[in-house]
Parts: sequence; C-alpha cells; structure tokens
Amino acid sequence: MAELDETTRKLTIKLVYYGPAMSGKTTNLMRLHDLLSPDLKGEIMTLETQNDRTLFFDLLPLGFHTPSGWLVKFKLYTVPGQVVHDATRKAVLSRADGVVFVADSQRSQGINNSESFQNLEDNARRVGLDFGTLPIVVQFNKRDLPNVLSEEEIRGRWSAAPWPLVMASALTGTGVRETFVKLLEAVYPLLDRSFSLSEKHGVSAKAFIDTVVGEQLGNPR
Amino acid sequence: MEIRARGYDSALSLRELLSGISPARLSAALAILLGGQVRVVSADSAWVMGDTPPLAENARRLPLVHDLETTGYLEIVAADEARARAAANLLELLMQSGARYFMASEMHVEVVKADYEELQRRHVALMASEARYRALAENLEERVREQVDTIESARRQLYQAEKLASVGQLAAGVAHEINNPIGFIRSNLSTAQSYIQKFRSVAEQVKSSGNAALTGAWQAANMDFVLEDFPSLLHESMDGVDRVARIVTDLKGFSNVDQAEEEIVDLNDCIRSACNVAAHQVNSRADLKLTLGELPPLRCKAGHLSQVFLNLLLNAVQAMEKRGEIRIRSGVENGRIVIRFSDTGCGIPPEILPRIFDPFFTTQDVGSGTGLGLTVSRDIITAHSGDIEVDSKLNVGTTFTIHLPLNRENTQHGRL
Repeated sequence: MAELDETTRKLTIKLVYYGPAMSGKTTNLMRLHDLLSPDLKGEIMTLETQNDRTLFFDLLPLGFHTPSGWLVKFKLYTVPGQVVHDATRKAVLSRADGVVFVADSQRSQGINNSESFQNLEDNARRVGLDFGTLPIVVQFNKRDLPNVLSEEEIRGRWSAAPWPLVMASALTGTGVRETFVKLLEAVYPLLDRSFSLSEKHGVSAKAFIDTVVGEQLGNPR
Repeated sequence: MEIRARGYDSALSLRELLSGISPARLSAALAILLGGQVRVVSADSAWVMGDTPPLAENARRLPLVHDLETTGYLEIVAADEARARAAANLLELLMQSGARYFMASEMHVEVVKADYEELQRRHVALMASEARYRALAENLEERVREQVDTIESARRQLYQAEKLASVGQLAAGVAHEINNPIGFIRSNLSTAQSYIQKFRSVAEQVKSSGNAALTGAWQAANMDFVLEDFPSLLHESMDGVDRVARIVTDLKGFSNVDQAEEEIVDLNDCIRSACNVAAHQVNSRADLKLTLGELPPLRCKAGHLSQVFLNLLLNAVQAMEKRGEIRIRSGVENGRIVIRFSDTGCGIPPEILPRIFDPFFTTQDVGSGTGLGLTVSRDIITAHSGDIEVDSKLNVGTTFTIHLPLNRENTQHGRL
C-alpha cells in the first residue's frame, strides 16, 4: 500500500517487477531509466552478485511534484528471479501497489513462467496482498529472440486472464514504456480512491501518467 | 548490538547515509580539494558532520540529493562553482553507496529472519510429525507386547495341555485295561460269596453226621473260623475293588482335559474328584476338610477346572512342613461362585508373593516342578472370566480364592 507522509507531504508508491530468473526485469528498469524523463529521476541502485544476477533487488526512484505541492515518489523494484531467493522476493513484494510480471517468451521457458506466476500469487497472499485487486501487467519479453511463442499463442493462452498483456523486447526498449504506462493506468484508480489525487492534488489520470513518463503534457509547474 | 529491523525501504537521513565514513577524514579531504572550509549539514540542520562550527555568513550551500529528495547541504566558503558541484556529486555518490549498504543489510536481516521463521515453522511441524510417529512406535511396541503375551500364554497352555494329554492317554489306557479285570474280579467275588452260602449249608450236615474222621478233619482245619472269616474277606475285597473302580473313574475325568469341550457340571464333583486323585499325597501330610456349599450347575471346561483344583491341592500339600490341615470351601457369594483352598502350611514370603503367577517361577528344586502350575491355573480361571487371588501369612498359611461368574452365557468365551 502506498505510503502517505503528511509532515513531509510525500506519497510513496511501490511498483515491483516480478518474474522468473533471467526474464529481463533489471533490463526493464535500465531501459525505463533511459526512456523516461520525469521531474525527478534517481540513479538505479543494483544489488547484484558478480555474475550480474540480482541478489536482493534493483531500485529505480522516480518522482514528480503535484500542483498541490506534494511529492509523488515511485520506487520501482525488481525481485531476484532465482528460486532460492524466495524470502527476498516476499520481502520486496510486501506493500507493493502494482506488479509487472516479466515473462520470458522463449518456448523453453513456459514452465518457469508459470511456476514464477504461481509463486507471485502465493507470495502476494503471504504478504497480505489481495491478488484479485492487485494491479498487474503481464509483459512477454524477449520478442527479439528466435524460437519464441507467437503473440497469437500467448494471447490465446492468457485470454481468460484479466491482466493487460504487453509484448516487449527490453534489450531494445520495445514495449518497456508501454508496460509501465499500462501499470500506471491500473494503479491510478486505486491511488485516486485512497488519496483523492484528482480532487485534492489536481492530478488527473492523464497528468499522472504523462508526468511520470515525461511527456510534454507533464507537470505544469 | 540488537539487530535493527527498520525495513530495507525506509527513508534514510544524511547521518545514516554517511554513517560508515570518518567525518574528520572526509572533511579534511573536502577542505583540501575545495581549498577552504567545508561543512556538511542535514536538511533540517539537526545534524552536522563532525560537529563543524557554522561557517561565515557568505558561505555557499549546495543541496545533497538522495532518493529524489534534498537530504542535506554542503556548505563552502571558497571554491569555484564547478569544484563545489563536483564535491557535492562526490558526496551524493558516497550517500548512494551508504544507502546501498544499508538496504542490503536490512534486506539481509529480513531474509535471514524470514528463513529462520520458516525453519522454526518446519521444525515445529517436524516435531509434531516425530511425536506422531513416536506415539505410533510406542503403540506398536504395546501391541507387539500384547501379541507376545498372547502367544506366551498359548504356548504355556499348549505345553500343559500336551503334558496332560500324554498323562491323560496313559490314564485312559490304564483305566481301560484295569476296568476289564476289575469287572470280572468283582463278578467272581460275588459268585464266591454265594459259594460260601453253599459251604455253610453243608457245614451243619458234616458236623452232625457223627463221622469222627470227618468232624476231626473239620476241626483240625478250623473250618468254623474259615467260614466265619471268609465273607468279611470277600466283603473287604469288594470294597477294595470299588475303590479301584472309583479311582479309575476319577482318572478318566482328568484324562478328558485334551477334549476341551464345555459341559455342564457341579464344580463340587470336580473338587471331590481332585481330592480322590490326590488322596494318597494328602492323607500322608494333612487332614482334608471339605465344606462344600450348594453350587448351581456351571457350563465350563470341567477337566481344566479339575486340573486347577488338583494344582492348588498339591501346592497346599507341599506347603506342609508338619502335619496340618487343608480346608476346601465352596459356595456362592455376591452372585459369584467362590472356592477357597486354605492350608496351614509354611506360607509364601511376601517378597515372592507378587511373582507366584509368573511363568516358570518356582521355589521347588530344579526338575521337580515346572513353575507353570499357578500360571496355567490363572490362565484357565481367566479364560472362564474368573479371577484368582492369594492371601498368605508366613508360617501361618495360605489361602487361594477363586471367583467364577455364575452364568457365562453372556460373557466372552474362554480361550482354552
């Protein structure tokens, strides 16, 4: 759940990139860092082992100021995908406001994807998140690789699922911003309901998204 | 130091971000690089690195940003803009590094804690499952013990039954063989009695015949006494034959033990028959007194119960150090048949009293007793849904009391 600090007039929103090992979660964050131009953009903090596998998490802070003078801060985290780091995944997932599930499109990764998604559902329940209302976007990454599932196959398989599907190639940047925007679209209504973003802070859904992404219709200040 | 658990994503102050760095060395290095006094202060001015005193009024302030927010300021007196900015950048990098360390350590603590809790949870689950298996194992042991007891009891009975069967076969054979001669001996004896009458009838004629030679021979042979004594001889012989016949009948009763059919009997008859079989041993050592009350007919394995009575009777005889008294009483008390065997023998020492029903426990010399008599007796009584108790005083005597239910129709059938 987003954190509201009245004294420093700050709203902190936590978004988590979840998924199987090596599916491109960290790459997503790096591309976002390059692609987005919000008011405020921090450096990516990575906590990896020597062979570039995420040990605990990566963190990308983004933010903007509302017309009401509040700071809206986004903390984008990735989880470690390797099965052994389940306790870490659980800790990172706790209090998340939204999740991007980064799946690997390669045909060989079907089982890893489904096991990781099941793990997401289990951990969400363990940390007290309502999986039914938790904003989720499913990204099928690595579209640039050969031997991947076709988009029709993927959409067919996921047709019954309520979550938006985005095809992406994080290495080249394709679909990375779109994934993020889809998540913001899903997160905004919940935040607006809890914190009256539109009413009290003058932040409409469009302004919310544009400002974070850094479109020209951004923060009027 | 107590492990903090603030959470890896909690907001960090400037002080925390720079906590791993020596303030004196950092200040000194910055002062040299910037060619003038420096001061690092938190955004709310509450914390000053190295407690540096405030600088001159004209000092410049550069914001130090961490996690999108101004966390503190770098104050400098001199230095050009580019150098000042570079120094601020340097500080921000240090702060980022501090944050990285802080978050990693916090996450580490959280993960270790979660793993530990998981371990604890599994440990508890394992303990529970171990306890389940332990209970099962204990139960198993108990059940095995019960089975072993059952087998042990069956084995003892088999042993005793085989012993009795061989004795019974012998007894049955002997009884059969004796019955035939007994039959014609008895028949001949009664014929002999009728012959004496005939002798008597001719005796008067011989004595009154006046034939001197004949009467002389009669008196010389003392035939009057012979005719007088002969009937009583025959009468005693008939008594002896009857006794033999009775013993044979009783022996046949004991030879039936291997045919463990239930029959309806008066237990007093079983007691009497046991007394008859043991009469020789009893009479030489003790006076036997029977006080047998009226007993209802009982459906039971009479041969087995007779064996119990004989066992108790022979035990009582063996307890006699000098001539004493054995008393057998029977009757019905509180809806149960009660049979008591009391003796005035040596009694049973209290220390061995609890063991007398144990298998193979014996006080007799090796070879003279199997140590199974009381064990099998108890097994037999238990199989008849009854119980057997012992009460003994050293040098005063021992009483065995048997209780048997009147009607066994509704109780479990015996194992024998």
